[in-house]
Amino acid sequence: MSITNLLENWSDFRHQHPSEDRPHLEYKWAMSIDLDSCTGCNACSVACYAENNLPVVGKEKFAHGHSHHWMRIERYWDNDGREFADQGAQFLPMLCQHCESAPCETVCPVGATNHTADGLNSQVYNRCVGSRYCNANCPYKVRYFNWYDYPTTDNVWPAPMEQQLNPDVTVRGKGVMEKCTFCVQRLTVAKSDARTEGRLVLDGEVQTACQQVCPTGAITFGNLVDPLAKVGKQWMQQQVDLNKDKQAKDAAEDAVKLRGYRILEELRTYPSVMYLEQLRESAI
Amino acid sequence: MEKDIREDIAWAQINKDVLKSLESPRRIYWVILLIAIAMVGVAVGCEIYQYQTGMGVANKNNSHVWSLYIATFIFWIGMSHSGTLLSAILHLMHADWRKPIYRFAEAMTTFSLMTAGLFVMVHLGRLWQVYYVMPYPNERWAWPNFQSPLVWDMFAIATYLSSSVLFLYVGMIPDLAICRDNIHAGWRKKLYTIMSLGWEGTDRQWRNFRMTYLTIACFLIPLAVSVHSIVASDFAMSNMPGWHVTSFPPYFVAGALYSGCAAIITLFIILRYVFRFEEYMTLPIMRKLVRLTFAIAMVWTYLNLIEFASVWYGHDQTAKDQLIFKATGPYAPYFWAMIFFGSILPLMLAFKRFQTHLPILFVVSILLNVGMWLERWMIISPSFAHGHYPWAWDHDQWPSLIQWGMVFGSFGWFTLLFMVFCKVFPSVSMYEVKEMVYHRSLAQKHKPAVKGDY
Amino acid sequence: MIENGFNRRNFLKVLGWGGATVALSGCGNTSVEDGREFVTSYAETADYIIPSIGTYFNSTCAQCDAGCGIMGRVREGRVLKLEGNPESPINNGKMCGLGQAGVQAHYNPDRIREPLLRNGDRGEAITWEKALELINEKVGSVNPENVAFLTGVVSGHVKALLNNYLDALGSGHHYVYEAVAPSVVRASNKKAYGVEMPRLSMDKAKVIVSFGADFLGAWVSPVHFSQQYARFRKPDNGERGVLVQVESKMTLTGANADRWLAIRPGTEGILALGLINSLAAAGLPVSEDVAAAVGEYTSDRVSKDTGVSAEHIAKLAALLKERSPSLVIAGSAAEGYAHGSQNAAAIALLNQVLGNVGQTVEAPSSVPFPQMAPSTGNSFALQSLSDDMAQDKVKVLFSYGANPVFTAPAFFKLKENLKKVPFKVVFAHYMDETAVEADLVLPLNSAMEDWATLMPEYIAEGAQLNIRQPLMEKMYPGTLGVGDILLAMLKQRRPDEYNDYEDFYSYLRSAMVSNKDALGGADKDDDTFWETALSHGVVKLVGEPVNMTGSMSAAALVVPAPFAEDATYPLHLIPAVSASMRDGRNANEPWLQESPDPLTTIVWDSWVEMHPKTAAKLGIVEGDIVEVASKSGAIKAQAYLFPGIHPDVVSVPLGYGHEAMGRYAKGVGSNAFSILDPVFDNETGELAMHETRVKVTKAGQRVIIVKDEGPAGGSQMGRRIALRIPSNKVNLSEEV
Repeated sequence: MSITNLLENWSDFRHQHPSEDRPHLEYKWAMSIDLDSCTGCNACSVACYAENNLPVVGKEKFAHGHSHHWMRIERYWDNDGREFADQGAQFLPMLCQHCESAPCETVCPVGATNHTADGLNSQVYNRCVGSRYCNANCPYKVRYFNWYDYPTTDNVWPAPMEQQLNPDVTVRGKGVMEKCTFCVQRLTVAKSDARTEGRLVLDGEVQTACQQVCPTGAITFGNLVDPLAKVGKQWMQQQVDLNKDKQAKDAAEDAVKLRGYRILEELRTYPSVMYLEQLRESAI
Repeated sequence: MEKDIREDIAWAQINKDVLKSLESPRRIYWVILLIAIAMVGVAVGCEIYQYQTGMGVANKNNSHVWSLYIATFIFWIGMSHSGTLLSAILHLMHADWRKPIYRFAEAMTTFSLMTAGLFVMVHLGRLWQVYYVMPYPNERWAWPNFQSPLVWDMFAIATYLSSSVLFLYVGMIPDLAICRDNIHAGWRKKLYTIMSLGWEGTDRQWRNFRMTYLTIACFLIPLAVSVHSIVASDFAMSNMPGWHVTSFPPYFVAGALYSGCAAIITLFIILRYVFRFEEYMTLPIMRKLVRLTFAIAMVWTYLNLIEFASVWYGHDQTAKDQLIFKATGPYAPYFWAMIFFGSILPLMLAFKRFQTHLPILFVVSILLNVGMWLERWMIISPSFAHGHYPWAWDHDQWPSLIQWGMVFGSFGWFTLLFMVFCKVFPSVSMYEVKEMVYHRSLAQKHKPAVKGDY
Repeated sequence: MIENGFNRRNFLKVLGWGGATVALSGCGNTSVEDGREFVTSYAETADYIIPSIGTYFNSTCAQCDAGCGIMGRVREGRVLKLEGNPESPINNGKMCGLGQAGVQAHYNPDRIREPLLRNGDRGEAITWEKALELINEKVGSVNPENVAFLTGVVSGHVKALLNNYLDALGSGHHYVYEAVAPSVVRASNKKAYGVEMPRLSMDKAKVIVSFGADFLGAWVSPVHFSQQYARFRKPDNGERGVLVQVESKMTLTGANADRWLAIRPGTEGILALGLINSLAAAGLPVSEDVAAAVGEYTSDRVSKDTGVSAEHIAKLAALLKERSPSLVIAGSAAEGYAHGSQNAAAIALLNQVLGNVGQTVEAPSSVPFPQMAPSTGNSFALQSLSDDMAQDKVKVLFSYGANPVFTAPAFFKLKENLKKVPFKVVFAHYMDETAVEADLVLPLNSAMEDWATLMPEYIAEGAQLNIRQPLMEKMYPGTLGVGDILLAMLKQRRPDEYNDYEDFYSYLRSAMVSNKDALGGADKDDDTFWETALSHGVVKLVGEPVNMTGSMSAAALVVPAPFAEDATYPLHLIPAVSASMRDGRNANEPWLQESPDPLTTIVWDSWVEMHPKTAAKLGIVEGDIVEVASKSGAIKAQAYLFPGIHPDVVSVPLGYGHEAMGRYAKGVGSNAFSILDPVFDNETGELAMHETRVKVTKAGQRVIIVKDEGPAGGSQMGRRIALRIPSNKVNLSEEV
């Protein structure tokens, strides 16, 4: 990038989402997670380990908070002082929210994390210097740092375990930040296949690893720009607008409510993951 | 009225006294130097281990991605402000009493910046790629992210460091010439000859010198304020509860001046003793310094209260939770220690009898800096422990010995640089002390032109 | 002309590579030159290898016995990841975490790589020829009556071969052992419905009442049930199904229930009868004998006995009456008592009274090839074996697919009894606790290297035969598939019949192809049929629906009164079966160890779950190391306070506490199997897993529990993170 280029195209470089006047062109990857379907079984989390070469750090490092679960299942209790959690738990699969206005992106000193044209919050491992500012500024704390050099750490991938590693995904060395990529390696393949055939990626053509494995189908993933995509229909039906930080749900006082929401939306991160509230029967 | 300095010191005596510091300090100088080298050794060992093994050995984690390194980084940046305050601000304000002590304060600025810079380095997960932060021309379209306060930091610190080195050096030129003229052989002679840039003390040289010095001083003041404001933006620009505070920049600057002044008191006492500078670093000067420190302490306290109040009466429940957590959670002992050392202890400095009591001042000034260090740590750690997302809270994290070793070693590194400086360069500005003596003798002859301690 | 196929292109290839290797290695011989390794040119690869493109092969998961179809992603000859096979009606392309970890069983660094013969305390590597010869010799030298086979669940052609071998020997000693199995429920189902495992149509039910069946976590076929559960929660008409879970320790399913009812342990049957009583009182027609049987189970009494409030009983009865069909399931929590059969019968009666039999409890299909139908196991089998061994009735023991030394409670004295067996052959993947005791260890192929057919116990629709095929080349030349070993052993006994088969693959193929008409391949030629079967991974079979009996007599139904208090051992121990650890056979797969337990979020260790009230009474706080002592033994583990457990109960997960097996399993946690008391179900003789009474004392130490949950625990601290609303506030039918 020459200085001239930089100056001439400055508005392009500084262009940020969300914005109404410059919508996404072909793709805007987004997700919705139905918390009423999620059973907290952890299949998505293990699938993510398998797909994305996540290191198993072992008990000691886990105890120090060095775990690498891009997809983590949080379990909340809501027993309000009652003796038992008699309405069950609230499970929440938490992954990178791929915020449209991502707090992590603005603070990275080297631009290692930035927004792609199709609305992903990407992490460039090669560029990362490991300042960890992105994690510091991430309200969801879904960024995971390579505190050690896992490829050379004992019992992380002892031979022949390394043969399982997915060749489509970088194995990260020490000192870089990593996080959920929405399985960008799968997206890339799908997009390139579609491009070869002169079309766009169809809904359902590409799945993230967590979505693919989920036994209850709680996770929907797709292209928000595609009017036929299920994820877009869900967002629309739940009246969740990518570009707003307050949704219709919060305003509605009617009897029938919507259950789509985004976590910590009030921080104006404009996440790309919509959650659907868990339901509980009141007749019992 | 006390005198800041005796007016009857002969100029030759000043030269003699100061130049003596380049030759024969007390034995304790060597003891301090050795201890400092040992401390640096500890830090170097820690860094080698951390570099090879990974940042995990520092016992940070995904909740606490920053820890002592950044806290100590801010601490050292803060320390650097005192030099600018004394030499530039007080210079512009014609406060004569700063003259015997500003040189070492400026050295302190430079060296604490050099220490702070190292903390940014050891903090990085991939130190070997640190140059990515700099905007260097390359064919990969890869520039640093100019939106990031860390990049601003890089610019601010680099500018501040180079400017303060320049300032320190320029201010030293006349003294270097004195050294050159008084030392007859050896590497020092060559060094001083080169560094004094052919200073002869002509009128023209003096005129240009004054102008240059004044210009740099004017330039340095906004720079100093901006550096710590930018460091404050690292936090204020983020969305972490406890950091997302508008008053952070002035708060940081006040804290910086505060810890800097406290450090000057400490070093004042050490230098006065080690290099036998009783004639120059006099108690009346100390009294003024202490009063200044007291005033800044109160400013800091005020800004602290402002911060608490704005959080308390604000609408950000998360930030309020965070404040309550600081005051009542596992960090409470450190938090209240910070309040005590930062706001209560300095009240002592208001009493005249303590203002010149060197042993007490020595202890108090160190404790003030402990308080200021705690302040930085209380900015960093509790926010990570208790942020936006309860699931990721971590109240138990404690820095490992590697981190402590590095922090410990940084004090050695600073001391080492400082001690070497004092031995190689005149740590008391000879020409300015002469000016001061001259002014005093004038004042003896005539009535003071201005009201005050002239 | 060069006639031997060594054409110009090959010549150039050799020349090129040879030149390159010489150039690279100087004068020394390289492994390529020596023939120890060979170079594969991607310019001319096998047609299923496309460099950098993953190809998918269907197979069957081996991580548990549910028999999900898997689809292995293979790239450059390595299997990388398992996906669900969309063609399998059991899992429809979905997987669980346990199944995903199957690749870690395959690539596990602790796998045994060659046959090992005991020499003192060590295992000495021997050849397969020698090993098989030894087996032949040992089996030949004893009375066939003294040869015993201990296996886990077996089905398909492996089972057929095994039976043939036993036949050839003339021994009938095949013990099928499952450490954790719904065997009492099977027996009770058989009595109540005429089938062991009826088909549960959760998606048709409007209310599910599960008595401790963890069907979303570890019960029978969790991936299948999870899919049904999703449709049950969100059917097309928007009428969301209601799940009520009744159990003493919250399972994953309990954590997803609309109402989780903490019941006093062992009183599940009482509640079932009480519900029938309430339903009858509310006007649900019940037969006279039923009415008589439940007459005394008034709401007040039931509430007092079970600890479930009368309000909840009334609400539940109303719900069941109002919303039909419903489905009542008896799970491990109900069956794990001495009166487990009675509990299960009472629950089955509730289903019958509600008219669910035939509606949501449906008849499964018959299996066209009964010789391939799964032999399901139970713990009674292990007990019989143990007794036989104690009486020196076993001279040669084969063990496959089970790890009894680990899973048998201490009172079995299995290890001592094993020592009485002069020759023990263990087919194993790892040097697990049982393999360590063996005289001969035969290393098995991993499920990703092996051929097999399998027939799962619970089949979603029709009948099906699953196919397991290698997803890649064998990792180690020294391992063999269980089918190959059995075939080799059969060749020793019945050479005429089996010598034609070179290996298990050829046996399997010819067995399948020769039956292709019955396997739905009547119109295909042999190769097409076989390749179709392989590419689908599943052969769907036509089975006749089995007749179910819809009526059971309530006359003989007696449910005992609740347990009396025990001053010495005041607490009930519930050994928890977690979704990823199960009975511990997969404990050496690190993904499972590091995957937090869904309810406690604990990793890499076992724990003692207890209610905060109980803990307060005992002065225990989280992280205290406590000793859990029963009459049969004691273990130590960290205490975890948990709002989903009855105050009279403590729970320790199974599967931890391995003393062998491998680097990831060994020494992690403590083994809850070991302290189970010798109490058995009255009717089936099954080990009553939930009957153990324990006392819990502080052992003095305290640790910081390694878990994902932070200091905020399960609280959201007033922040909007995971939200929940009443289901009547939304309209699901409008949703996408």
